Amino acid sequence: MLVLITRRLMTAIPTLLVIILASFFLMRLAPGGPFDGERPLDPATQAALQQAYGLDRPLWEQAWLYVSRLMQGNFGPSLVYRDFTVSELIAQGLPISLTLGGLAILLALMFGVTAGLFAAVRAGQVADKTIMMLATVATALPTFVTGPALALFFGLWLGLLPVSGTGEGGAWLIMPVVALALPVSGAIAKLTRAGLASVLKQDHIRTARARGLSETKILFKHGLRPALVPVASYLGPAAAGLLTGAVVVETVFGLPGLGRYFVQGALNRDYPLVLGVVTLYAALIILFNLFADLIYGWLDPRMREG
Amino acid sequence: MSLYEIRNMAVAIAGEQLVEEVSLTVGPGQCTAIIGASGSGKSLTCLTPFGLTPGVVSGSMLLDDIDLGSADARHLRDVRRRLAGFIFQQPLTALTPHLTVGAQLQEATMQAGAARPSRRELARKLERVGLSRPDERLDQFPHRLSGGERQRVMIAAAIAHSPKFLIADEPTSALDASLRAEIMELLDELRTEEGLGMLLVSHDLASVEGHADQLVVMDKGRVVESGPAGAVIANPAKDYTRRLIAATPRLQEPISAFSRPGELLLETDCLGVDFDRPGWRRGKIRAVVDASIIARQRESLALVGGSGSGKSTLGRAIAGIGPATEGEILWQGAQLPERRKRSLDMRRLIQPVFQDPVASLDPQWQVQDIVIEPLRYLRPDLTKVERNEMVRQALSAVALTEDFLTRLPASLSGGQAQRVAIARAIISAPQLLVLDEATSALDPLVGAEILKLLSQLQVENGLSLLFITHDIAAARRLCHRIAVMEEGRIVETGNMQAVIDDPRHPATQKLIAAS
Amino acid sequence: MLKRHFPLVLVLAIVMLAVLLPFLLPWSYDQIDWNAVRAPAFGESHFFGTDEIGRDRLARLAAGTRVTLMVAIAAALVSLIVGIAWGATAGWIGGRVDEAMMRIVDGLYALPFMFIVILLMVVFGRSILLVFVGIGLVEWLTMARVVRGQVMGLKQRPFILAAEAAGTPSIAIILRHILPNIAGVALAYLMLTVPQVVMVESFLSFLGLGVQEPLTSLGILVKEGADDMDMTPLGLALPGGLLVMLLVCLTFEGERLRDRFS
Repeated sequence: MLVLITRRLMTAIPTLLVIILASFFLMRLAPGGPFDGERPLDPATQAALQQAYGLDRPLWEQAWLYVSRLMQGNFGPSLVYRDFTVSELIAQGLPISLTLGGLAILLALMFGVTAGLFAAVRAGQVADKTIMMLATVATALPTFVTGPALALFFGLWLGLLPVSGTGEGGAWLIMPVVALALPVSGAIAKLTRAGLASVLKQDHIRTARARGLSETKILFKHGLRPALVPVASYLGPAAAGLLTGAVVVETVFGLPGLGRYFVQGALNRDYPLVLGVVTLYAALIILFNLFADLIYGWLDPRMREG
Repeated sequence: MSLYEIRNMAVAIAGEQLVEEVSLTVGPGQCTAIIGASGSGKSLTCLTPFGLTPGVVSGSMLLDDIDLGSADARHLRDVRRRLAGFIFQQPLTALTPHLTVGAQLQEATMQAGAARPSRRELARKLERVGLSRPDERLDQFPHRLSGGERQRVMIAAAIAHSPKFLIADEPTSALDASLRAEIMELLDELRTEEGLGMLLVSHDLASVEGHADQLVVMDKGRVVESGPAGAVIANPAKDYTRRLIAATPRLQEPISAFSRPGELLLETDCLGVDFDRPGWRRGKIRAVVDASIIARQRESLALVGGSGSGKSTLGRAIAGIGPATEGEILWQGAQLPERRKRSLDMRRLIQPVFQDPVASLDPQWQVQDIVIEPLRYLRPDLTKVERNEMVRQALSAVALTEDFLTRLPASLSGGQAQRVAIARAIISAPQLLVLDEATSALDPLVGAEILKLLSQLQVENGLSLLFITHDIAAARRLCHRIAVMEEGRIVETGNMQAVIDDPRHPATQKLIAAS
Repeated sequence: MLKRHFPLVLVLAIVMLAVLLPFLLPWSYDQIDWNAVRAPAFGESHFFGTDEIGRDRLARLAAGTRVTLMVAIAAALVSLIVGIAWGATAGWIGGRVDEAMMRIVDGLYALPFMFIVILLMVVFGRSILLVFVGIGLVEWLTMARVVRGQVMGLKQRPFILAAEAAGTPSIAIILRHILPNIAGVALAYLMLTVPQVVMVESFLSFLGLGVQEPLTSLGILVKEGADDMDMTPLGLALPGGLLVMLLVCLTFEGERLRDRFS
């Protein structure tokens, strides 16, 4: 197990480094120089940039400077949000994005696994077919359609839920989280159903059945864990999907999360901000993949050897 | 008084009648064996009365005076829980991968309502089935154990709740030849000690001989013949049984004379094959080490060994479809280079035939294209008409009609597919065939026919054969000489009969004992 | 056929409409009808009405669908070519080369693609070419993995070894044995890549980072509809509904194909 984790980490760290360096050099490649955007920069930002990247030094030294500053959590100044550093914006937006994403993945797991389990038990029956059909539809629901649609229906027409901003209590979270969780839960339901269907055909299930165990016990003790392996391997891409979806949801529902800063940064060519967020996202996703690997090993001990 | 009795049982799946009019009995402490080819309905016969297949069963089945025919699903579950134990074919997959051996054994012990066993008790159960270091095994996951060890765990779990009746569905078929005898002996021992009744299912007559008290021969869903095992084998009443017995190779049977070998054809000189370890790890896996064999014209050499002994790797190196990293392969004294460097003229000399007949044929190609493939590159001098004529000849040489020309592999039976593969191998008129377990995946009757075909082709075409197998008895029907492999090394070579009469190396002795 | 493949029929119908409508409608997608700003649906000259600046909704819908599907097909083909080339090479050569090539795919898999595409967009400016090259280069990963797995599996099959023994050169083995045997699976994944790409393109366009005005796409139409949804819900419902319908149908057919071949 430890070997597996170390090996994953050994690929994760270079991957991250490559992303950082690639994004850095990409930025330096930008036509017309990265920092002469449409708007002239004020001298303070100019100076800060000069200081942050050492623009007068050789390129590799600038890259090294950037990486070493990143290690200290210094992402440089933001070009759009003049009064903030990128680190400050991240500190502000990250909790909101993480809350959204975390809740969405929990909801999707609960909902998806339950639905998949239910369908697998009723394999071939109407309930199974209906659930699988709904799951396919759910996977094809982009957040940028469901988000506005939910806002229109529950917010503007029924007036049940807040349409914009964070507000008091948790009500503001409901629609964004549901819009985010829908496609992921559909995918998880399908994976759970397919995983169970193939596991329930395997020999060890017949062995358990030959022991006279109850069907429930067979399902939960012998069937479920290996059936969830595909779900675990989907968690990495799901996390990436959720972070991406969060960008839309935060824009649609006007939430001051990381995604919205990212879009603003991208639209306004705020390089330090975009770079910072991409790096952070990459790190998050790599971390999440590592976590998924751990779950893998628990679900199926054969994977522990890697 | 019988423990288990079936009278006039029939099994249907989705309305189709797959098993009919089966009757058999198993006495306490006795073993009844069902023998049949794949698709004969033997597994359905033994598993369906216990609700372990989707089949619908009718007739009378009494286990310990409980009528299984009238029992509902819950009742059947209860019967499985208390009275019966099951052993299945695939020890690799029959254990739950994410539960430790101890957890599964504990579940099996408690299935009939026994109290939670102590660790010592569980360890003792493993010791009983002949597993070394039983205490350590309890905490291991199944994938850490070898095939034989896993099958022992299966057996320990099957008898852990002290059942009265044991059902073993091909318990040794997936195991290495040398392990089969050990597992069968273990089952015999447990059966007599515990007074268990056992229903044994196998496709291989030789494997149940000497272990079964009663024999039931099945074909196409019906019982062909049944009775005391010794009497049925010594004195078969039905033609099918006779053919089955004749098809099953035995070390004691008389064999017809072979062709006279000619000059030296092939020689390997200290041949070695190393593979890189998977991944980035350093080091090599030595699959074949210092292998030196010879084959003469019109001679058959058996290359015999257990799985992982390196016999297939050696065969592939010789056939030029696998790497050879050390030593030399010589053809009539001239060097045959390694895999990719082999010229078309050299390739024409040696052709392979493989174990799995269906996987040997490209599923997208018609039989005629499959058979013609070697001519396309090995005989570019031929015209299209000549080629087509040769395909017809090759098919008739393997006793297939011209109707097969346009068939797709999916529509062929195992035996037909293997005949097509042999036709492809002989069409370019090679001098040596490398037969990699060419009869092992086939049903006994079909396998015997293929064996006969090969020996006939050898005589008619003056072919040399390298017959790679785990089955000495089958090899004895075809081969002049034998080379035994173990862990990548040739450990014994010699004249076939001489080696069988006086095996020197323990590996050879084990293989002979298992036949 | 018509009933079994209803989703496919629906997709084809939508494609036909998207292609043909511009020739049939009197309005082009960027033409403003000053006399009918915010015209209601099912009126005389505008079937689905007009948007807040007086452009015909139906014409815009057809144009948007066309652009979205074009980007999707182009990007899916890019992913098909790159994926097959990469996956087949890795699978066929095997060993350390395969190990290294698949590590790269694993590494790329762990990346937040969408953000990298956006990063590219920010650096090189937004262009439709970049949209589909970016997307295509990202979506090939799954194809490469699938193809590589298939090739690895096939390579071990005895019929490939028999072909080698028959003197068939490697290139002919790949062309005549390997590719025909993976074509079905590749087609299924190609079909599943299309909705993926549709999703990505619409996402980018929704955020204003993809297809740029005056061109339009379903993502842009959804965005416009969402901005104006309190006035005319139809503006959101039409492109949103059409997009979801396309995605659902393509996914259904793709999955059916995949299940048939694996």
